[in-house]
Order: sequence, then C-alpha cells, then structure tokens
Amino acid sequence: MEAVNVYSARILEKQEYFKPGHRACQGCAEALAVRLVAKALGKNVIVASATGCMEIISSPLPFTNWDVPWIHVAFENTAAVLSGAESAYKALARKGRIKDRGTVFLGMGGDGATTDIGLQALSGAFERGHSFVYVCYDNEAYMNTGIQRSSSTPFGASTTTSPAGKKVPGQITWKKNMAEIAVAHNVPYVATACSSYPFDLMEKVQKAARTPGPAYIHVLSVCPTGWRIPPSKSIWIGRLAVETGIFPLFEVVDGRYRITVDVPELRPVEEYLKPQGRFRHLTPEITAVIQERVNYEYRKLVAKTQFKF
Amino acid sequence: MSQTVTLTIDGRQVQAEAGTTLLEAARSVNIQIPHLCSNEELAPYGACRMCMVEIRHGQRTRMVASCIYEVEEGLEVQTATERVLNVRRLVIELMLARNPTHPTLLQMAADLGIEKTRFEVEVKGCILCGLCVRTCREVVGVSAIGFEGRGTTRRIATPFNEAPPDCIACGACSAVCPVDVIPLKEKDGIRTIWKTDYPMQRCESCGRLIAPVKQLEYFAKITNQPLSHFTEHCVHCR
Repeated sequence: MEAVNVYSARILEKQEYFKPGHRACQGCAEALAVRLVAKALGKNVIVASATGCMEIISSPLPFTNWDVPWIHVAFENTAAVLSGAESAYKALARKGRIKDRGTVFLGMGGDGATTDIGLQALSGAFERGHSFVYVCYDNEAYMNTGIQRSSSTPFGASTTTSPAGKKVPGQITWKKNMAEIAVAHNVPYVATACSSYPFDLMEKVQKAARTPGPAYIHVLSVCPTGWRIPPSKSIWIGRLAVETGIFPLFEVVDGRYRITVDVPELRPVEEYLKPQGRFRHLTPEITAVIQERVNYEYRKLVAKTQFKF
Repeated sequence: MSQTVTLTIDGRQVQAEAGTTLLEAARSVNIQIPHLCSNEELAPYGACRMCMVEIRHGQRTRMVASCIYEVEEGLEVQTATERVLNVRRLVIELMLARNPTHPTLLQMAADLGIEKTRFEVEVKGCILCGLCVRTCREVVGVSAIGFEGRGTTRRIATPFNEAPPDCIACGACSAVCPVDVIPLKEKDGIRTIWKTDYPMQRCESCGRLIAPVKQLEYFAKITNQPLSHFTEHCVHCR
C-alpha cells in the first residue's frame, strides 16, 4: 500500500471517525496519526483515551471530534479501563444480553501515559491477555503541560525540565524502548509506525485489530511545538526519523521481527537532529555518540529479523 | 437539496439520502454487512454477492445485493435472516473453493460458521471481484488489465497475456485486491508487476526513488506539465 501512495489514498474508505475542527497545533502529526488510526478501525470500535494532548484537543466541552464511543480516563488507568470494558463486553455477549459484533477496543495515550504513568496498568492488561489494541502516540515529552521530559524523551533533547546548559546537554538518559517492553510481554502483535508513512500505519492498525489478544503499536508523532520545528516540516522530520534509523518501522508477529519500511542505507543522524530546535545545542561529539548508539540499535534490530526459529 | 428517505433495516428506522445504496445506509447505523467488491470510489458493481440481504415488498420477500440496490421509502430490509445467511454461506464456500487460504476469506467464513468448503478445491487465488479491473479503469484511468474468457475460464489478464502496453506500474490493482493475488515486487530500483519490469525514477535532488518512470510520464501527460516537473523534486525534498 505504501508503494502506491498516489492512488491508495483514493482507494481507501472516505468516512472519517475523528472529525475535523479539533484544537491541535498547526502541523500536529499526532492528530494526523489519531485520524488515520480511527479511519483504519472504522465505526465498530470503543476508544479509551488517556489524559493528554489528544484528549484536550478533541473534547473541549461541549464539543467532541469523536464519531465513535469514546471514554476519557485518567493518566494511569487507560489499559485497566479498557480491559474492564472488554471483559464486560465479552460477558454480556456470552450471556446473550448484547450481540457480539466483533467490536474492537482501542486504548490510546501519549508517551507519558504509556511509558511512565500508565505502564503498570498496560503491563497488567498485556499479561492478562485481553483482546485490545493499544496505540501509543509518542511525541517524546509531556507536550500538553509544557514540554516536560518523559522517559521517552531522546538523549540530548532539551525540554523545560531537562534544559540544555553549560554542564548538561539536555536529556541525559536514552529513550525507553517501549516496543521492546511490549515484545517482552509475549504480546502477539507489536509494531512501530509513524504518521509520515500513513498507509503503513493503517495496515498495522488493521492487522493489530484482527489479532486475537493484545496488540501494541508505538507511533512516533512529530510535535512541531515541542520539537521546535516549523509546522510545515513535521511530516518531513518523521520521514527523516525513519530514514536515519532513529525510529525504524518494524512489526513483531508472535516474536518474529520484520522491518516494514526498508531503508537500504541509513542517513546520518545529523540530518534529523539539525533542523530541530530541541537539539540545537548538540556538539559534534554528542552527535557522534548518538550516531554510534543508533547504529548499534539498528544492527541489533536487523540481527533480530534474521534470527532463525 | 437531496431527498431523504426513511427505511427499516433489521427493525431499525434509518434515514438515508435518496440514491445511496442499502449497504451505505446499513453502515451508517453500524449494521455490518460483509462485502468484498464494493469501494466508494468505484461505481457499484455487485460481483461478490456476499452483501445479499432480504427485502420485503408487501407479502413477498426477495434477495438483492445491498451494494447495488438503492434505498427506497418504506423499504423493509433484513440483513441476517436464515435465508440470507444460507446464501452467504454458499457464496463464501464457492470462493473458498478458488482460494482456500486467504485470511480475509477464512475470517468471513468463520463468522458464518464455516471451516472449509464442501466443493472441490481448485486453487486459482483470484475470486473475480473485479476491483483491480475497475480501479485501473475508474481511478487510474488507463484500463491496462481486463477480464478474459467466459464462465469457468474467466480470469483477470493483460491483453494477449503479454506485457501490458498501457500499464503505468502504479500498483493500485495490487493494493486494492482483497485477497492479495497480484504480486508487486520492488528491488534495486525496479518494480515488477504483471511479470514485467519497470524502472523507477530517482529524484534529481535527493536521489530517493519516487515512482515508476512510466507513471510519471503518465502524470506529465494528463496534467500537461513537463516531465521534469515530477522528477526534479520528490515529495520528500520539495
């Protein structure tokens, strides 16, 4: 689908379930990702959304952008609420109180709600094996409250709580690899996606919805406000994140890795770091450290795809 | 101002615009009707027969394909009667006899309580829904492929089974196919589709692959722009 992107946009369904008129910033790639995920899943879906940008911008009282059932939950219990909803649905269907129409349960949260605050509930839901899709929209900081660092913030990024100065080059820890944490739960379907590759993203979401049992999708969502880039560049930056190998797109089906968007030759990470204001302070030495780490991680991923069962 | 008609689907009152189909009306109230050959971008066709429903005219009921039947005032529609399900089971079994392995078909069959077909399996892959042929004609506008033969020998083919002269290697047929039987491969700047190799164009600024050369030539032709308009910059470095 990705290869034929000129025509695949026309072949797709026209109906949107995340309606226009939301209050996201200009160039928000996260809102784009939400729209694509909602479009891929269709009308037969129940959404539980953690607190965060996407909750704020889509539900300012008395309006809503959602054309599907949508529950707003607190930061920490998205996956818990979702597993409850899924269990209730299953029980009611078993007792014949409602008709089982194969409704998909979608959980969504930002990187804060997934990798920091909601991780415990998510881990529990993975372990219990509820049938749901959890999508993490990762914009690499708490953008909604004013760009505070999260455990998903990459090394070297300057945020308001990890400011770059003379002594410290911004964030001093590496980004938490949430997709690998999901893989470690032996979840049947795990994937990474990016809204710069819309058809790849939609295919993965549909695959996740078809999978019985839990599925996890980690979506890199470029945030022009927090990353200090012009709004017109957000799709471009997302593509560079993939082409430099910083955020490779892969899927893991029952433990088997496959790289979905193949990058024959990685571009230098400098191309990705340079246009972003949050990396403006990086010296060539720190860039070299990041480059080394990216090469190492990418080699590790490629080795995993070549693992023979 | 378009007219609105009111009809009943599975006992529910549904408002729909005149001129739309039963399938669209059902979907607007979240009544799922399985279907394979319908796509909003294409003219209704009614090939797969999975979307059969029962409609009532006075005392009599009859079966129609909901993707080509237009909504009518006061129409009574049933989407899941035993008669409807029987037809769908037969149809999916006939399709499984042509393609017994594709997950989409197997899932549809499982929803109807069928595990395998009762007919003799003759693997052809293609279920003759015609989506690829219609997409090529209506969306892309080149008609590079078509149906060949009649009856049991009917199949999708290129003219004279040779390299299709009109094909622009866009791959839309491969993308739209519900059972993934049109292979599309891309390797080292060469795209292979319909057993023909098409070279890909590299962006003159950044060196990334854009699209097959023939596709860009086609774009240049239908938009009356010079070819360089499409090759100088790609979607990435524009």
